[in-house]
Amino acid sequence: MHKVLPYVKRYIYRLSVLLVCFFALPCLVFAQTDTTKKLKEVKVNGSNLPKIQTITPSQQITANDFDRYSALNVADAIRDFSGVNIKDYGGIGGLKTVSIRGFSANHTAILYDGVEINDDENGQIDLSKLNLSGIQQITLYNAQPDDILAPARSFASASIISIKTLKPSLTADKPYQILAGVKAGSFGLINPYLQWQQRINDKWSFIVNSYLENANGHYKYKTNINGPDTTLTRNNTAVRDQQVDGALYWTKNDSNKFNLHINYYNSDRGLPAAILNTNPTSYQRLWNKDFFLQSSYEYTWNNGLHLLLNTKLSQYITRYRDPSYLNDQGGLDDSYTQREFYQSAALDYHIFSNWEVSYATDVSFSNLGAYSPDGPIYKYAFPSRFTLLNMLASNFTIGKWRFQGDLLNTYVNEQVKFGKPTPQETVLSPTLMALFKPFKTQDLQFRAFYKDIFREPTFDEQYYFTLDGSRDLKPEFAKQYDLGVTYRKSIDKFIDYVAFTVDGYYNTITNKIVVEPNQNIALSTIINLGKVRIEGTDIGIKTQTRKTNGWRGVMALNYTYQYAVDVDLGPYYLQQIPYTPKNTLAVNAGIEYNQMGLYFNQVVSSSRYFLGQSIPENYVDGYAVSDLSYVYKFSAYGYPFAFSAHADNLFNENYVIVRSFPMPGRSFICSLQIKI
Amino acid sequence: MKNLKPILVVTVALSFILASCHKDKKVTPVTVVATSGLYVLNQGLFQDNNSTLSFYNYTNQQTTADVFSAVNGRGLGDTGNDIEIYGSKTYIVVNVSSTIEVIDTKTAKSIAQIKLFNGSTAREPRDIVFYKNNAYVTAYDGTVAVIDTTTLTVGQSITVGNSPEQLTVANGKLYVANSGGLNYPNYSNTVSVINLSTNTVTKTLTVGLNPQNVVADAYGNVYVLSAGDYNTVGSSLAIIDDNADVVKSQANFDGSNMAIQGDNIFFTTSANKVEIYNAKSQSITNPGFITDGTVITTPYTVTSDGTTGEVFVTDAKDYISNGTLYAFDKTGKKEYSITVGINPGKIALIKN
Repeated sequence: MHKVLPYVKRYIYRLSVLLVCFFALPCLVFAQTDTTKKLKEVKVNGSNLPKIQTITPSQQITANDFDRYSALNVADAIRDFSGVNIKDYGGIGGLKTVSIRGFSANHTAILYDGVEINDDENGQIDLSKLNLSGIQQITLYNAQPDDILAPARSFASASIISIKTLKPSLTADKPYQILAGVKAGSFGLINPYLQWQQRINDKWSFIVNSYLENANGHYKYKTNINGPDTTLTRNNTAVRDQQVDGALYWTKNDSNKFNLHINYYNSDRGLPAAILNTNPTSYQRLWNKDFFLQSSYEYTWNNGLHLLLNTKLSQYITRYRDPSYLNDQGGLDDSYTQREFYQSAALDYHIFSNWEVSYATDVSFSNLGAYSPDGPIYKYAFPSRFTLLNMLASNFTIGKWRFQGDLLNTYVNEQVKFGKPTPQETVLSPTLMALFKPFKTQDLQFRAFYKDIFREPTFDEQYYFTLDGSRDLKPEFAKQYDLGVTYRKSIDKFIDYVAFTVDGYYNTITNKIVVEPNQNIALSTIINLGKVRIEGTDIGIKTQTRKTNGWRGVMALNYTYQYAVDVDLGPYYLQQIPYTPKNTLAVNAGIEYNQMGLYFNQVVSSSRYFLGQSIPENYVDGYAVSDLSYVYKFSAYGYPFAFSAHADNLFNENYVIVRSFPMPGRSFICSLQIKI
Repeated sequence: MKNLKPILVVTVALSFILASCHKDKKVTPVTVVATSGLYVLNQGLFQDNNSTLSFYNYTNQQTTADVFSAVNGRGLGDTGNDIEIYGSKTYIVVNVSSTIEVIDTKTAKSIAQIKLFNGSTAREPRDIVFYKNNAYVTAYDGTVAVIDTTTLTVGQSITVGNSPEQLTVANGKLYVANSGGLNYPNYSNTVSVINLSTNTVTKTLTVGLNPQNVVADAYGNVYVLSAGDYNTVGSSLAIIDDNADVVKSQANFDGSNMAIQGDNIFFTTSANKVEIYNAKSQSITNPGFITDGTVITTPYTVTSDGTTGEVFVTDAKDYISNGTLYAFDKTGKKEYSITVGINPGKIALIKN
């Protein structure tokens, strides 16, 4: 067997020991309680059942639990979710994208307070850029959210990650609240943040979240690029970024409210490149200046007609520089400016109390410019895209059944300044879902869905370094079939609840867009190639004990089995899709005592292949990585404080997720926060 | 407590299932490389650090997928561009890793790793030729590096044009194709002529846009094949008189991957055919070298064995999966084919 196996076994052993310890401890305490304090009533908190999953599979994490998962950004926060596969290039500034149920990152839309963070340029949102500051809750929906009153874009991707920010909820007695904190530790990280909530009057309030993040990003890694087990330091990893997010809320009442977000993100970071033999040094830098303005208005008439308006204006400026590129200009220095105007209107109406229909229409104009220091990039298309989405949805409940469905019409039209644009496209995409709850008194539900959706080729895929202006790419279609069951139950005085969910799914991808890179950028090709079939199972178990004498044990386990293969006849027939492990397991277990908590998190992934052929040369080892975190909330000087410390990659596992991009060894991050 | 047991059992059981799912990475131990066979240098993919060296043993007809890593315990690195045998040593030019791996031809064991860096900036070597115990290596920093093949140290650098590709020795001079590829879209169209006794550029000749391949024949001709801009400007062939160092003919020419053996200049066409240009008759004598109907999707390099007349052609297929090496006899009939690595870009024939 390959040498990874003993490591995995060792970690599994350690994991088991830790798990046993975590659970044995409260058991011992409880046993003591049982014997010596029989007459004294044990103080037990009420059951705290998690939100049951509804018609589509959904998994959620709230701000309180971010520390439990040693999370610094959105990628860390969701990495335990079943079906999720984070492609992490390593370190503080390393790109992190998410693949869900075998689909590439382009098939996942990320909603920020209900509005998509859209990127027509490359379509893969870097989750490492999404700091957790100000985020209240993150939910992953397979297929789509279950509320049919939403912008049409919420229904236009294979999966949705919905990020909700904190809304101020202050009273006149204490009209403001300030949260100040700092995170610091390995990688030379220092990340101070500040949150200011202010109630202006009974209608108006605002919240401002801001942070600075500075890190040199250095970490040591082992590699065999220069012979067995050389230790090197990852260089060119420095990160400097800042973000301000201000949100203004106006609430007349529940049926008449408005909010406005202004968000600015500025970042300057080194781009650590692939570790190449004898040449592991990178000089590439990336600058981002992202700005968006987003507003939302909601109104409900007395007859129940419900209106939701969303508007967004965004501008993303990216500059990439590689001074080591051997051209006569002394390197590459390219800038890209992407702008978008987006408007959505959605209406929802209950025809009967059990029959709800909604209609949403979204329009968006986006464009992309590409510039070098001498002016526009040679023969760059300067594409602009007009997208019109129309969606009709319905939700119908009868007896033990609930049915939901929608039909989405997408119209895309592009124009270019050079070359030829992608032909205009009209696509009709249906979704059908059903839920069956056989018992009134039991939280047992069966569900099924079918979703047919597609993604447009991105501007990069279509127009980047084309010889004649454009590649004739077709949209990539993704079909999903899912059958699942969820169950949750309050158990007894000791075990608070057990929640259990299993989904089996079958997905297909057609017209898969494949990049064939070439050193000569002009010769790189991108084509529609191949069909993919994904058969998978997601399992989630969540449980916790009741708080007993201040003690509580918590545990969550997620497991994913995925058989994702190419089914086009040819060299890739039945070969595993690159970077899709067959098995992933995430376990998080913790013990809490009053205001303290100690948590252990483990993510295990089986081996993968980094290219389309499942052959030894393309093999990437599996890994098992563990984190330990400690959280302590206390009061001092009359103010509540929260302290946390995590040791990430506790056992200093040497591993990669993406080939040639080594992950950090053991690292430590502490944070301290005060609420005023 | 009893409620926890099943969960624990499930966790541990799942973990073991996962562990058992790890597949073995097959490593074929290689001890001896036979004296008759061939090496195929597979470029791998840009930035994937996966260049490999396939070895095919004529005697037992066995292929070793990556003999370099099997023998040396490390990979070749990123984008192996050229492999040449000189004396008892084989030189492998690895472009992005910016190194020249020198191995013992018979054992594939590393003798030296000649790193080509300017301070810490990679010079990105590309192609290698030999002349009087010196190796001459084009590097993307616009130079030809001179390497002493006895001490294996880098000496002088001769400045040429941007992104030099292939080079060749003829009439005591070096002819270097300056492609200008990294100046995209401003490709170059020059050939630098270097006097090998003084190691200085004596002349710069104008040829077709984006020159790539350079070969010399026995009649005082140097052939320069230019790729054009892959769009509106097509490929072209310039023939240089190596006495006067003038371009004596220049014409559009549908070809790439040029290689010479005796009077036969092999090249591949845009229709993925292998053809032969005869240096003596100065004409295409053999359109369609392959006579048995063997189809090659993406011919990537051609090499001919002067002794046997065999012709080896690689197929890079879709550029992202393993390629194939085809061996043909001199009449263009397939003898055998073997699977090689990704983007098999260069072949070196091991001779006793």
